[in-house]
Amino acid sequence: MAVSRRSARPRYTLLLLILASATVLTLNYRGHAQGIISGAKSGARDVLAPVQSALGAVLRPVGNFFEGALHYGSLQQENARLEAQNQALRSQAQGAQAAERENQSLRKVLNLPYLSGMATVAAEVISTSPSNFTDTVVLDKGRGAGVDVGMPVVSGGGLIGRVIEASRDRSTVLLITDPTSNVGVRFGGTQGNLAVAAGQGANQPLRVDFVDPHTKVSKGVVMTTSGLQDARFPADIPVGTVRAAHLRSSALQWDITLAPSVDLAQMQFVDVLEWAPSS
Amino acid sequence: MFGSRLRLFLVIVALLVVQTTILVGVRVHGAHPDAMLLLGISAGMVGGSKRGAAVGFAAGIAADLFLDTPFGLSALTYTIVGFAVGSVQSSLIRPSWWLTPLTAGLASAVGVVLYAVVGATVGQSQMLHDNLAFITIVVSVANMVLAIPVTRLVAWAMPEGPPAYAGAGTALR
Repeated sequence: MAVSRRSARPRYTLLLLILASATVLTLNYRGHAQGIISGAKSGARDVLAPVQSALGAVLRPVGNFFEGALHYGSLQQENARLEAQNQALRSQAQGAQAAERENQSLRKVLNLPYLSGMATVAAEVISTSPSNFTDTVVLDKGRGAGVDVGMPVVSGGGLIGRVIEASRDRSTVLLITDPTSNVGVRFGGTQGNLAVAAGQGANQPLRVDFVDPHTKVSKGVVMTTSGLQDARFPADIPVGTVRAAHLRSSALQWDITLAPSVDLAQMQFVDVLEWAPSS
Repeated sequence: MFGSRLRLFLVIVALLVVQTTILVGVRVHGAHPDAMLLLGISAGMVGGSKRGAAVGFAAGIAADLFLDTPFGLSALTYTIVGFAVGSVQSSLIRPSWWLTPLTAGLASAVGVVLYAVVGATVGQSQMLHDNLAFITIVVSVANMVLAIPVTRLVAWAMPEGPPAYAGAGTALR
């Protein structure tokens, strides 16, 4: 009897801890304790931020060593590709300057919403997603620098995601490739077609939904944020380029995959747009 | 006992920093190791089922503070895995050195799948996507590699070992 009582103690502990975990999980799921949980997360991240920064600076070469060893071949190819791309971009930049001046003049006249003149917070990506099941990055700026939940984040001329968590010194960005991410997009001009670009996971192209079979769409078409009323993102931010577009017989919509405008695996510096949806 | 708890706290914090600083950058097609899951497993191997559950719970809560998945999901999963490992380990008559990485690998695989299944039941259905098998393999292999050093670290934090009454294995010995 004494042995069975003693052997039951671990089970009581297990039951207690499972109940505690399930309670916290349920409260979070129903949104009841969101303030406490967010506060605890922000506090923990801010407390550990200096330690992570210091150790990160020392230990990042270790991580980079393993990362480089695992991906040496692809790094070589990527380096060569980037050098060629750099040459092409230099040539394009010169031609783009004149077009930019004309564009600015037109937008002033038409009063279209756009990034020019929008306040931004420059930030650096200091960590990729700590979870294997979400596609996020952590920035080195938080509420203290003006970053807040819901703000869009761009890099290298394209959308990368939006802020979903913000503590005093750190913020977390949900990337557009995350399976829970949906971005309203437009293509075919200012009065063009509307659709939704959904994430399919890290290193995967986006899936574009709700494109009517009668719409004209082809590979290479650029899609930008639609910026509709209550949209999460301002209008005209490049989201991606159509990689493939197929229309099966009697399908209700096109099968479209979208390659993001930004190489989400390689970005280092980003801009957080100090913008909130109008509602 | 206070010394042991302080050491355990330090081990949890240290592994949390390593996980969020180094291990998140060691990726194979987007999947990276999970040292916090390994912590619960190691505690089960070293300290028995009760301590495995308790350390798994603490490691899970610590991990959840830095994750964007539902809060409490890691705590629930790691608690169950830590307890299960402790229960199985305590029934072994003569444990061998190779059982440590093997147990860590198998338990990690179970842990990752359990995490995704429980996550799907609380609205995170995207966790059961095509990449789950690959994530399971990467985490299992990485935890097999890290099992021996992490288990030694946990053994340092819990030098007293499992309680005398832990599991049916006591009777078999």
